[in-house]
Amino acid sequence: MNNVATSDVLLAIVSLVLATFITRAGMLLVGDRLSLSRHVEAALRFAPACALTALVLPEVLGPAGVLDLSLGNARWPAALASAAFLLWRNNVLGGIAVGMGTYTVLVVLAR
Amino acid sequence: MRRSWKDPAWRAEFRNGARELLPVAPGILAWGLVTGVAMVKSGLSVPLALLMSLLVYAGSAQLAALPLIAASAPAWIIAVTALATNMRFVIYGAATRRWLTQYSTRRRSLLGYISGDFSFVLFMNRLEKEGAFAHRDAWLFGVCVMNWLIWQVASIAGIVGGAFIPTNWGLQFAGTLALLPLVMPSVRSWAGAAGALAAGSVSMAANAWPYKSGLLAGVVVGITVATVVDSFTNSVGAEARP
Repeated sequence: MNNVATSDVLLAIVSLVLATFITRAGMLLVGDRLSLSRHVEAALRFAPACALTALVLPEVLGPAGVLDLSLGNARWPAALASAAFLLWRNNVLGGIAVGMGTYTVLVVLAR
Repeated sequence: MRRSWKDPAWRAEFRNGARELLPVAPGILAWGLVTGVAMVKSGLSVPLALLMSLLVYAGSAQLAALPLIAASAPAWIIAVTALATNMRFVIYGAATRRWLTQYSTRRRSLLGYISGDFSFVLFMNRLEKEGAFAHRDAWLFGVCVMNWLIWQVASIAGIVGGAFIPTNWGLQFAGTLALLPLVMPSVRSWAGAAGALAAGSVSMAANAWPYKSGLLAGVVVGITVATVVDSFTNSVGAEARP
């Protein structure tokens, strides 16, 4: 990127700040000028569960971009082990440790 | 803001929020580190990478913008890419809006600007349990400020140490694992589980779509499915009642 001018990078950063501010704060700032129907308001309580699974599932089931349920993809067994641990003990750090442990063992075994 | 900070009850909620985030800190650290390393590995100089991290504070938008900056793409293309990548935040804003209307424009701007995936889910989970709790602005600030600090520490470490940190060691998977415990309570109802399953499946199937639009499609389909299942299970329950 050494051939890209500093001013261009600064302009890109300003664009990124604006785009991030608009998307994150925009809805909080429109206030009463926009009223959502009760149906939409009610539907939005499902947004956290849906957003998180939409973020997590592709990362776990297809880190290379396509669905991969073979053991060559160590992430899905690791996530399963982590979820099982979380059901057993509600301990977030433990869940991450179990998941990363399983992941590392599978990756090393596959070598 | 200064007046709020003088109120011990406000400060206590701020601290509670900050503490609420700590368990997922390893996940945020991992993602921040990965993003920091990616910035310098793409060729960005250290000062510019630091500036981007501190001002933009949006991991997925930054990662999407890096190849465009390297290719000298025009600023408007970078802005449109960031808008598309950040579109899920608009849904988060729509969901949290009605709980924050009473606060000043300045406070809402700041809260929105430093919010993210973790703060949104934690905030919604607490609202679900307790409704409109007092000093929720303080609590949300606590969550967001702690998230910001952890992220910046990790991102800056990645920027400064980027040349010495290997990128291919599954580090970002720790970030994904940190999200798991946040999903699990919200899928306990049939509607939540069905919506989550639909959202995840669509997002997986549309993973190759540009600008993370597959993610957005997944969220929209998931919310729709959850609402349909919810109205069905609720009406069945109502009819079954004597």
